[in-house]
Amino acid sequence: MFRVGVDIGGTFTDLVALGESGEIINIKVPTTPKNPSIGVLDSFHRFTKGIDVKDIELIVHATTIATNAILGQVELNLPKTALITTYGFKDIVEIGRQRRAELYNLFFQKPKQLIQRKFRFEVRERIDAFGNIIEPLNINDVYSIIDKIKSEGIEAVAICFLNSYVNPIHELRVKEEVIKNLPNLYVCCSSEVTKEYREYERFSTTIVNVMLMPIVSKYLKNLIDGLREFKISAPFFIMQSSGGMASIDYVSKKPTTIIESGPASGVVASAFYSNILGLRDVISFDMGGTTAKAGSIRKGIIESTSEYEVAGRVHKGRIVKGSGYPIRGSFIDLAECSAGGGTMAWVDEIGALRVGPLSAGAYPGPACYGLGGLEPTVTDANLILGRLNPKFLLGGELQIRMDLAKRAIEERICNKTGLSLIEAAAGIIKIANSEMAKIIRIVSVERGYDPRDFTMIAFGGAGPMHACALAEEINLHSVIIPPNPGLFSALGLVVSDFKYEVIKSIMKNVSFEIVNEVERVFNDLEIEGLNMMPKFFKGDIIVQRYLDMRYVGQSYELIIPIAKPLTNESLMKLIDDFHNKHEETYGYSAREGDVEIVNARVVIIGIVKKPRLKVIEKGEAQYSIDSVIGEREVFFEESNQYINCKVFNREKLKSGNIIDGPAIIEQYDSTIVVYPNWLAEIDNYGNVIMRWKK
Amino acid sequence: MIDIVTVEVIKGALIYAAEEMGISLRNSSYSPNIKERMDHSCAIFDFNARLIAQAEHIPAHLGSLPYGVKKGIEVYEGELEDGDILLYNDPYVSGTHLPDITLVAPIYFNNKLIGYVANKAHHSDVGGKVPGSMPSDVNELFQEGIIIPPIKFVKKGVVDKEILNLILSNVREPYIRIGDLRAQVAANMLGVRRVKEICSKYGIEKFFEAIDKIIEYSERKLRIEINKMPKGVFEAEDFMEDIGSKDEIAKIKVKITVKEDEIIFDYTGTSKQVDGPINAAYGVAVAGIYYTMLCITNPEIPMNDGFFKPILINIPEGTILNPKKPAPVSGGNTETSQRNVDVLLKAFAQIVPNKVCAACTGSMNNVAFGGVDENGRTWAFYETIAGGYGGRFGIDGVDAIHTHMTNTMNTPIEAIERNYPILFLKYGVRDGSCGAGKYRGGCGVERSWKLLAPTATVSIVSERHKIPPWGLFGGESGKTGEAFIIKTNGEIIKLKSKQTIRMDYGDVFIIKTAGGGGYGKPFDREPELVIKDVENGYITLNQALEEYGVVIKNGKIDYEETRRLRG
Repeated sequence: MFRVGVDIGGTFTDLVALGESGEIINIKVPTTPKNPSIGVLDSFHRFTKGIDVKDIELIVHATTIATNAILGQVELNLPKTALITTYGFKDIVEIGRQRRAELYNLFFQKPKQLIQRKFRFEVRERIDAFGNIIEPLNINDVYSIIDKIKSEGIEAVAICFLNSYVNPIHELRVKEEVIKNLPNLYVCCSSEVTKEYREYERFSTTIVNVMLMPIVSKYLKNLIDGLREFKISAPFFIMQSSGGMASIDYVSKKPTTIIESGPASGVVASAFYSNILGLRDVISFDMGGTTAKAGSIRKGIIESTSEYEVAGRVHKGRIVKGSGYPIRGSFIDLAECSAGGGTMAWVDEIGALRVGPLSAGAYPGPACYGLGGLEPTVTDANLILGRLNPKFLLGGELQIRMDLAKRAIEERICNKTGLSLIEAAAGIIKIANSEMAKIIRIVSVERGYDPRDFTMIAFGGAGPMHACALAEEINLHSVIIPPNPGLFSALGLVVSDFKYEVIKSIMKNVSFEIVNEVERVFNDLEIEGLNMMPKFFKGDIIVQRYLDMRYVGQSYELIIPIAKPLTNESLMKLIDDFHNKHEETYGYSAREGDVEIVNARVVIIGIVKKPRLKVIEKGEAQYSIDSVIGEREVFFEESNQYINCKVFNREKLKSGNIIDGPAIIEQYDSTIVVYPNWLAEIDNYGNVIMRWKK
Repeated sequence: MIDIVTVEVIKGALIYAAEEMGISLRNSSYSPNIKERMDHSCAIFDFNARLIAQAEHIPAHLGSLPYGVKKGIEVYEGELEDGDILLYNDPYVSGTHLPDITLVAPIYFNNKLIGYVANKAHHSDVGGKVPGSMPSDVNELFQEGIIIPPIKFVKKGVVDKEILNLILSNVREPYIRIGDLRAQVAANMLGVRRVKEICSKYGIEKFFEAIDKIIEYSERKLRIEINKMPKGVFEAEDFMEDIGSKDEIAKIKVKITVKEDEIIFDYTGTSKQVDGPINAAYGVAVAGIYYTMLCITNPEIPMNDGFFKPILINIPEGTILNPKKPAPVSGGNTETSQRNVDVLLKAFAQIVPNKVCAACTGSMNNVAFGGVDENGRTWAFYETIAGGYGGRFGIDGVDAIHTHMTNTMNTPIEAIERNYPILFLKYGVRDGSCGAGKYRGGCGVERSWKLLAPTATVSIVSERHKIPPWGLFGGESGKTGEAFIIKTNGEIIKLKSKQTIRMDYGDVFIIKTAGGGGYGKPFDREPELVIKDVENGYITLNQALEEYGVVIKNGKIDYEETRRLRG
C-alpha cells in the first residue's frame, strides 16, 4: 500500500508515494498553472502505470490555488461577490486598520478591494458587545438587498455583522433568507468562519473565504472526477496551513484554511523526523529555487500563528501588515526571504554588491543552465566555488556550463567592482547566507530561544549546500540532511494528521465566576470540532484545549493549554501558567495585574498511523572505497582558499559511516557540502547527521 | 582595506540589530501604544553619535533620534560607563514631545567606548493635565507632564529605583509604565550585545571601516539623487488654524535651494512660537525634512548619518518649528509635523512634480474621551483617525488612510464597545470629501458614536477645519474636516478643530476628517472613472457634473454632453 502526496510547486508538480517498507516513488511533471489539476492528473497517470490503483491507501494534496486566485491569476476568476453588513459600517473592510503598508512610498496603494463599494449592502440591525439586541433585524432591508443581488448577478455573499461573534442570530437569519431565495449562491457568515472579536479581520476572512468557495470546490471536484477516471477511489485529503489535513467537504466550505498549504508540509515533515529521531527543538530550513523558508519546532510542537495576510508583501522575512488581506486561522509560523538557487546577484550604482530579491526562476534559470540566463545567481556562485558538480546535475539530466557561470559573474560583478572571480562568487554566497541567517533568527533568537539547543533539518534542492555555513553563522551545532532533500517537503503530506481548530471569544476577566461559562464554551467547541472529523475515521482522537490570555490593557494574547475540565483549582494553575509563559516569552510578568481570557480554543487532532522509514544497510565507521566517486577543489570562506575534497555518492553510503569534513556528498536532487570542522555521520535511515566540532 | 562584501554583510547585520531591538521592544512592551501602534524607534550610533542604522518604524522619529542622542550624551561627556543607560523626555533635548521617552546606552568593546544604542517609545501617559498627556488647551510645557532631563536611569546594569519611583508617582497607570520602561531597557541591552558580537566577529578595525563606508554609501546615493533635481530656489507656505484662545493662524514657510549635490532648507518667515501645544520641537521639524527627502528620492537609501550630510537646515529659533522652552509641544508631533510635510511637498511640487502628492488630510485627528461610568469607574480612551491621501502623478490618492508622519492602527470597534460606555453609529469613508482632480484625492473618514455614560469629556486636537488640503496642477482642494455633538434634544454643536467639551448620556459625537487634494485638472479625468466613483458613492451625481463636467443620464455617460460641457 502507498500513501501518496501531491504538491504543486511553481515549476514542478511533485508526486511522492511512500510504501509500507519506506520505499519512495517520485514523479515530477511540469506544473500547469492555468489549470493545475491537469498536472496533478498527469502525475497520477504516470504513477498508476507502475502500480495497482487499489494499492493507494490515501492521497494528500497541497495546492496554491487559493493564494493564486486571490493574487488575481487569470482563469481563476473570483466570483462576483456582495457583502451584507450592519448599517453604517459597509466600509470597515475598506478602511481596514487604517495603516499603509509602505511608510516612505508616496505612491503606495491599498490592496484592491475584493468587493466593490456598490455591492456592499447595509441592513438596519444592531447587537451590542455583550450580545444584546439593541435594534432588531429589519427584514425588509434584507428582502430589498436580495432583490438587488438577484438583479446584479451576484454569485457569492458574505454576511458580516458587528458583534456577531457574541451573538450570531442576525447573521444566521439573513443567511437563511438568502439561501431560501437564492439557493445557488455561495454564502458565508462571519460567525461561521471564526467567533473571534476584531471585526475587520473577521470580515476579511469571511470575504476571502466565500470568494474562494466556488474556485476551490470546483477545482477539487474536477480533481476527484479525474482520479475516478483512473479508477482511483482512495480517500483524498487536503493539507491545511496549520500542518494538519482536512476532508474535501470541510475545505470546500473553509478554503481559507488551505492558503499556505504548500509551505506547511516541509515543517510537518521536519516534525515527523524530529519525533522519530527523538529531537525536541528543531529548525526546519527549506531552500529552493527562489525562496528560503524557516520554521521552528519547540518541545516537539510546531510553532504556529493565528493570523496571515494572503497576497501580502514580505519584507525582511516578515509579512508587512496591511499589504494583503488578513486571514484568521491556524498557520505554521514561517519566515521567508528571497534567497534560492536562482536568486540573482547584481551591483548597484554606488558599486555595492547585492543579492536578490529578483530570481531567474526556473526559466531562464541560472547562467550555468545554458538556457539563456545572463545574470549571475547563487547557483552560479556555488558552481564556481566547486560545491556543485561542474559537469551535470540531476544525475546527468541537466548539463552544466561552467564557462557561462564564469562569464556572468565576470561581466556583471567583477568588471563593476574590481573583485576577482572567486571573491565575487564567495561574496555572493556570504551575502545570501547572511540574509538566510536572518530568517532563522526570526524563528529562534527573536522568540527568545537559544539556537545552540536546536538541531537544523535542512532540505530543498539548495538547503544542504548552505546548511553548515548557516549553522556556524547562528551558532547551531547540529544539522540533519534527510535522505531525499528535494522531496522532503512533499513527504510531509503523507505523514500528517487530521487537524481542526475552533475558537470562540470570551473576553472576560479571570475569576471563579466564569468557570462554568468557559467550561460550557469548551464543550460546545469540542462538539463542533469533533463533527468536522471525517465520519470513517477510526483512529485515536486527541482533544486539546487552550485559552488565549493577556493582562487587562494589553492587545496581544498568549495561548495557554488547559486540562479538561476547567475547575476552580485548574483556574488557579491556569493563571500561574499564564504569568510563567509571559515571563518566558517577554522576560517579565505582572503578577499584580488583572488577567483576561480573550478566546477559548479547541484543537481536534485525528492521529493517522505513521509509515515506517526505510532502514539502510549497516556499515562501519570507515566508508567503503566505492562510495567515493572522485575529488574536487572546493572553496571555503573561512579558510579563504580551495581545498581538495573527496566527493561521495550518497546512495553508496551505509549507516554508521563517518565522513570528516571538508567533503562533498552528491545525490540525484541535491548536494551536501560538509564544511571543514564538521563531521558527517550516516544514521539507520540514511540521514546525514552533521556536527560542528567547534 | 575592507572589501565590499564585508561592508554589505556588516551593513545588513547592523540594520538587523536595530530591527531586532525594535521587535524585542515591541514584544516585551505592555501597552497597545507600542505593541499595536508601533509608536517607537530603535537606532545604533558610533562613538561620535553618528547614526549608523535605524529600524523603520515611525517617520516622526526619523532624524529626531539622532538629534536627541547627540544632545543627551553631551550632558554626560566622558561620564557614561559600561552598563549605564540614560533616560530623558525633555523635548528641548530629545527633540520630540514628553510622551516620547528616550533611552541611550553606551557600547563598550575591550574597555573602549565604540558607540551607542538608543530607543524612543511613545508612552500612553506621562502625567500632566489630562489622561494621555496630549492636552488641547495648555500654554506651558509644565502642564503637559513630567519633564525628565537626561539622567542615569540604569547604573552599571542596575535600574535606579529612586528615579523609577519618582517617574511612576508622576504618571497614570504606573504598572503599565514599568512594563514599557523595562522593555526599553531590555531592547538597549540587546542592541549593545548585538553590536559587540559584530565587533568580535569582524574585528574592531573592520567594524569602523565598514561604518565609514556605510555612511559614505548613503551620502553618495542621496547626492546623486539631489543632482538629478533641477537647480534653483523654490518657496512654499501653508497655515495652521484655531490656535490659542483667539483662534489665530500660524504660518510655516520654507525656501528650498537645490544645489549641485546639496540641498538647503530655510524656514525664515515661519511664525513665532505660539501659546498653544502645537509648537513642534526641533527634532520633529527635522524629521519632516528627512521623511520628505526619503520619499521623493529613493526610500531604499539606508537611513544613517550619510543621508543627513547633503541636507542643510536653518530653522530660526523661537518659531513654531524650533521653539524655546517652555513652549508646549505635545501637538507638534501630530499636527504641525503634518503641515511641515505639506509645505515641503508643495515646494517640491515645483522641483519634482511627478514625485509628490497633493496635500493629504493634514492632521492626525486626535480624539480623547473619558469620564466616570455608572459604576464609578474612571475610563479614558484616545485614538487618531485617518483621512484622505492626496492625488498623485498617474494615480488617485487613497481613501481613509493614515498619512505621512503617522501610521498607527485603529482599535477594533468590537474592542472599544466592550471596554467603554459608547456605541458606534458609523465608521466609513466620507462620501464626497475627495478633492477633484485628474487623479482625485482620497476621501476622509466619518466616525460617530453615542455616549452611554451619564457624562464624559471629549477633546479633539485636529487641523484642516478651515484651510482645506490643497490640490496640485489644477486639482481641487479636499473637503475640510468637521466635528459635531448632537444633543438628545436635537441641538447641534459645531466643534472647533481644537476643543474640549462635555457630553451627556445619549449625546452623539460625529467627526468627519478632511479629504486629500486632487492632482491635475478634474476635466481631464476619464469619464469612466468618474461614473465608477458615482456608482460606488465616493462622489455624487452632482459632483460629477459640477466638479468633473461629466454628464450622466440614466446611469450612463452622455459623452456628447460631457464633451460640450468640458469644452
